[in-house]
Amino acid sequence: MIGEIKDINFSEIIESSNVPVVVDFWAPWCGPCKMLGPVIDEIAGELGEKAKFFKLNVDENPETSSRYKIASIPTIMVFKNGSIADTLVGFRPKDAIKGVIENHI
Amino acid sequence: MDNKYDIAVVGSGPAGLSAAINGKIRNKRIIVFGSKELSNKVIKAPKVDNYLGFYGITGAEMKKQFKKHIDAMGIKITYERINAIYAMGDYYGLAVNEKIYEARTVILATGIEYTKPLRGEEEFLGKGVGYCATCDAPLYKGKIVTIIGYNKEAEEETNYVSELAEKVYYVPMYRGAYDLKRGNIEVVSDRPIEIQGKDRVTKVVLKEREIITDGVFVLKDSVAPNQLVPGLLVENDHIKVDLNMQTNLSGCFAAGDCTGKPYQYMRAAGQGQVAALNAVSYLDSLK
Ligand SMILES: Cc1cc2nc3c(=O)[nH]c(=O)nc-3n(C[C@H](O)[C@H](O)[C@H](O)COP(=O)(O)OP(=O)(O)OC[C@H]3O[C@@H](n4cnc5c(N)ncnc54)[C@H](O)[C@@H]3O)c2cc1C
Repeated sequence: MIGEIKDINFSEIIESSNVPVVVDFWAPWCGPCKMLGPVIDEIAGELGEKAKFFKLNVDENPETSSRYKIASIPTIMVFKNGSIADTLVGFRPKDAIKGVIENHI
Repeated sequence: MDNKYDIAVVGSGPAGLSAAINGKIRNKRIIVFGSKELSNKVIKAPKVDNYLGFYGITGAEMKKQFKKHIDAMGIKITYERINAIYAMGDYYGLAVNEKIYEARTVILATGIEYTKPLRGEEEFLGKGVGYCATCDAPLYKGKIVTIIGYNKEAEEETNYVSELAEKVYYVPMYRGAYDLKRGNIEVVSDRPIEIQGKDRVTKVVLKEREIITDGVFVLKDSVAPNQLVPGLLVENDHIKVDLNMQTNLSGCFAAGDCTGKPYQYMRAAGQGQVAALNAVSYLDSLK
């Protein structure tokens, strides 16, 4: 299962993790985000403990969204040791996303 | 039985129709997206001398023959424009605004679009440049947005964005009266040259002036194939296919002008057939 990450716990989560943290920036009004949701769920299931997965609702968490300059959603960011290791903007096929995440494992 | 189609054909030109009849002959559940006119490039041809069996035929007559053929086989065209196609893993989601059609395979037969992207458009995609204003508008709440509109529908999106953004510049790429509702929309009748910025878009350079802006939406009739299908491999403006008309995404095929030159009816129809037969083999291999 994918947890929610918010402005208040964002830094703590990405800095304290010893595996890559994948954050899916989304919003309820965004069509492609809805399509991406189940794809991310599947990848999270397949990768198990090797990475942590979170969703961030950009409407409810403006601070984080503006700090990372989210200009288009869905955006997927992979964090390693607290900083951005990779960014994917827009929907991507499952294999493409999984491949990018695996590069950081 | 689920309600997924076996094959979704996107485009109703010679490539798409040839794919459709061959998919239908093989008893697959197909859906074909396209237009009433079938293809503007078919109806506009004054005289065609290189379509085997139809020497000296006009485009309009050819369209009639195509229509008779699909009618005889009970193939209906769904008159809808696909906005985006999502590779979900073992199927594809084809979006028409809020509605999603599902199919196991897709055949792209969308023809070719001649409008080139603006300088900077691809570089800043996702960093301030977007193709769906209504999708990303909430991210520009209280900000400045520029919309480059190639058709009337763009006006509707501009009206929506103007409810959220502080200021909207509308750059029309066509002539006519513009149905724009709010006072914070400024029409800029000038030719856009380049989109500029550093990490993100900061301005649009036009022939006569520059606009400082936080975001730019480019709204065209049709989008590039790799915008239509995120993750699709495109090479030199054409969809990359192998001899089976297979793209880099499994279960996704392409045929006709969208795969490359020469741009010709018989090549398009031939590729549509190859794509359909390989889609059928792919479907059979899933069982
Ligand atoms: C004036 C003119 C004369 C020509 N004369 C000749 C000739 O004599 N001989 C010859 O061989 N060739 C000729 N051609 C070239 C020929 O028209 C093309 O090679 C051929 O039409 C390509 O077929 P196609 O099926 O690939 O694409 P098209 O015929 O362009 O069809 C594409 C279809 O896809 C639809 N579509 C696109 N995107 C979407 C979407 N997102 N959702 C739903 N539908 C979509 C379009 O509306 C269109 O119906 C001529 C072209 C022109 C313009």
